[in-house]
Formats: sequence, C-alpha cells, structure tokens
Amino acid sequence: MTPPGPDRSCPLELDGVSFAYGRSMVLWDVSLRVRQGEFVAVVGPNGSGKTTLMKLGLGLLQPGAGQVRLFGQEVRSFRSWSQVGYVPQRAQATSALPVSVEEVVVSGLAARTRRFRRLAEEVERIDHVVELLALEGSRRSRMAELSGGQQQRALIARALVTAPQLLVLDEPTTGVDAEARSVLRESLRHLVEVEKMAVVYVSHDPEGFSGLAQRVVEVEGGRMREGHGQPAVQVAKG
Amino acid sequence: MNPFEFEFMQRAFVACALIAAVAPLVGSFIVQRGQSLVGDGMGHVAFAGVGLAFLVGADPVLGALALTVVAGLLLVRMGRGGLAGDLAIALIFYGGIAAGYLFASRADAAQTQVVGLLFGSPLNLTWPEVWVIAGLAAAVVVLTVALYPRLVAMAFDEEAARVAGVPTDRLVLALTLMVAMVVVGGMSSIGLLLISAMMVVPVAAAAQLASSYRATLALASAIGVASAVIGLLGAHYGDYAPGSAIVLVAIAGYALAAAWRSIARRAAA
Repeated sequence: MTPPGPDRSCPLELDGVSFAYGRSMVLWDVSLRVRQGEFVAVVGPNGSGKTTLMKLGLGLLQPGAGQVRLFGQEVRSFRSWSQVGYVPQRAQATSALPVSVEEVVVSGLAARTRRFRRLAEEVERIDHVVELLALEGSRRSRMAELSGGQQQRALIARALVTAPQLLVLDEPTTGVDAEARSVLRESLRHLVEVEKMAVVYVSHDPEGFSGLAQRVVEVEGGRMREGHGQPAVQVAKG
Repeated sequence: MNPFEFEFMQRAFVACALIAAVAPLVGSFIVQRGQSLVGDGMGHVAFAGVGLAFLVGADPVLGALALTVVAGLLLVRMGRGGLAGDLAIALIFYGGIAAGYLFASRADAAQTQVVGLLFGSPLNLTWPEVWVIAGLAAAVVVLTVALYPRLVAMAFDEEAARVAGVPTDRLVLALTLMVAMVVVGGMSSIGLLLISAMMVVPVAAAAQLASSYRATLALASAIGVASAVIGLLGAHYGDYAPGSAIVLVAIAGYALAAAWRSIARRAAA
C-alpha cells in the first residue's frame, strides 16, 4: 500500500523534523500540519526553538532530518513564493536609511516586479493591504517616525501584498501598544475568516492571539506538544 | 582663471562627477546592509590588483577589476562560511594593502604612481581612461535600475526577501560586482583609499534630509556630484590634492545636513 502523497491543499507541513546548530540540538522529531484557513499559534519561552521551527518551515534553514513541504511541495524545490507571506521580528527590519511605509509595502512585490511601472492589479493590492492595516494616513511617512504598532502593520502589509495563502508572523506584538494590538487582531481575524488564509503566529505572549487561534502548539526544550482549541492561555506555559 | 578652459580639468570634472554620481547608488545598498566598510576592503584589494598588473606588465584597470571581483566572491563565501562580516572584510583589507605594496615594490613602480592610485590623480587622466570610467559608471546605473526593486527588498530585510522569492544569493554577487566596478572606476580619479568614502558619506548626508529610500538615492547622487565639482574647484584654486578635497567637501556636506536636521527637529518640537 502506498503512503498518502503530499497534500497540495496543506500550506505548511513539517514531518519528523530535527535540527541542530552545530552540535547543539534545537528541535527533535517535530511534526506540524497547518491547513488552509487555519490559525495556528506556536508558543514557547525564549530560546525554546519556535523561531527555528518557523525558519525551517520557510526554507530559511535546512533540517538535519525530516521533511518540510509548502503547499505539498518540498521546500527546497518550492518556487511559488508569492503564496507565502513572512513577517519577521520588527527589530530585524530596522532601517539604517530613510524608508517610507509605501516603499516597505511595495518591496514585498520585488520578486515579480521587473519594471518601475506597476500593474493595475498590483496598485489595487497595495491599496487594499494599506487600507486593511489602517495605514492610509502614514503611507508616505518614514518608518522610523512611526510607532512600534504602525511599523509592525507596515511589515504585515508587505507580507500580504502578494495575496499569500500562508502568513507566518514572528513575535508580531513585541513592543506594540494595546490600541495597535487591537488593529492587528482585527486584521488577522479578517485574513482568516474572510480571505481564508492560513496563519502561523509565533509568540511567547498568548494574549496576542487569544480568541483567534484554532490550535496552539507549544515548543519547549526542542520538543513539541500540541493543544487543541482555545483559549491559548491554558496551553502556554508561563 | 576659468578651470574649464583646460582639457585636463575637463577630463577630471567628467571622471570625478561620473564616479561620484554612481558611487552612492551602490553605497546606499551596502550601508543599508550594514557593510559600510566593504568598499574600503575592496579598494585595498584593487591596490593589490594594480600592483600585480605592474609586476606582470598587464593593464592596471583589468588587474584591479579581476582581483576585486575575486575578492568579492571570496568575501561572500567567507560570510556564508560563518565568518563574521567585519572579520572577513578586515582579512581582505590587510591582505590587499600588504600584497599591493609588495607587488608594486617588486615591480619598481614609482612612488608617485602608487600615491596617485591610493589618493587619486584626476588631473593626469587621459580621455581613454575617462571613457573607461564612463563605461563602468554606465554599467553601474544599468544594473541599479534593472535590479532596483530586488536590491531594495534585500537591503531592507534579506530573510524576508528570500521568502518573497528574491534570489538573494545571486543578488549579493551582483552587488559585489557593482562595488568592484565603482572601486575600479574611482581608483585613478578619487583614489583607492578614498573612493569608499564617496559610497558612504553622500548617502549618510542624504539620509539626514530625505524621507524615502528613492529620494535618499537621488539626493546622495546629487551630493556626490556637487562634492566632486566643489572639491575639484577647491583643488584647482587652492592647490590641494583633488581626491582628498572631494571627500572633505562631502564630509562637510554631511555636517551641514546633520546640523540642518537637528535645527529642523528642534523647530518642530
């Protein structure tokens, strides 16, 4: 009997993945499937391996063992990157030079933009994500002059500008005030409920995804433990 | 006396303005990637390339270009191999200057030739040399325009760009090649030890005033050209070393821009 083939409707799949930095093991035999339209929170204390797990899922790191698939395709041969949106930690996106919100958002289209003139559909998508993330008023503002929450929303807009089917966020609420968290939550709710996007939300702070996550997985000491349903707070350890 | 009446000054103005216009285009990407000293390292390697060319009787421009491209590839490989970025630059930096002087001394190159390469001698350029500089500058502009969206995405955040499907490995090589072209284009005009300043200082000045990345690039390029023209005029009337004068004008431009920004901030507060 042949084993079940790759599931193309499954945006992200990690199967028996292990990873080490040099001789230091970070993840052991971890498996995770994220389905279309599903909001999965990955929680765990700092240094638990959750960011490593996410980077493996995005092909930024190569596993020592196991398989990683995006939309049913081995991540090494995956080419349809416009289906994937990635929001790194905000500190990673600090700019040495002035950069406007619009430039950050548009840079998400870099892989397919070969010309200076944008297509009508690209302009429409840029307008849509700017509106969705409530950034209309700060479109031409310098990123450095914005609050942490506005900067975070600009990074999410960049990730969404290709209309991806999978969105991966790494600690999106770090340094973000309560009002900005509220805007962020509503935007994420819209993405999952209306646009049927799969969302992987990596955080050590359960409050950020409480009421949104359909599934919570906990990474601690390099191993994974899965909880189902909500609230996330019950699953995450302190 | 009008300096533009002299053909050697015309050549100097054309060469310095061209290279000062394109150096910040490349510089903006290396500054944004936190590699402001990479041009300096490449300048030292170019010196080794010129020294080697003196030794074997080859064309100095080709020698410099060949060795800077090789060093650039090595730099990328060393970085991927886990060597910290600044350590890799330092190794290439020291190796380049040591090898360059060793080769030049073995080749019995005149001290004036060596000093001219290190600190620039735009007044001695010939028209064929100016055309080579123009060709290198044009190639840098073409590459910048063609790769602009991808270079910007990579400069903002390399990992996010990779996930967005930008071929960052190939782009790093292209950027390295662009740095090499600026260094080689600038070696006989502004000087190998000073050309990297023209990649960084105008960008730093423009960053004080601009509100977007694209505006920073345009303004930095304009500051570069203005520095070249004012520096050469100063060198002509004051009998200063041209390469040094150009870089010092650019630094003065940075100081003015920083002061302006500080005043504007206080006024807005």
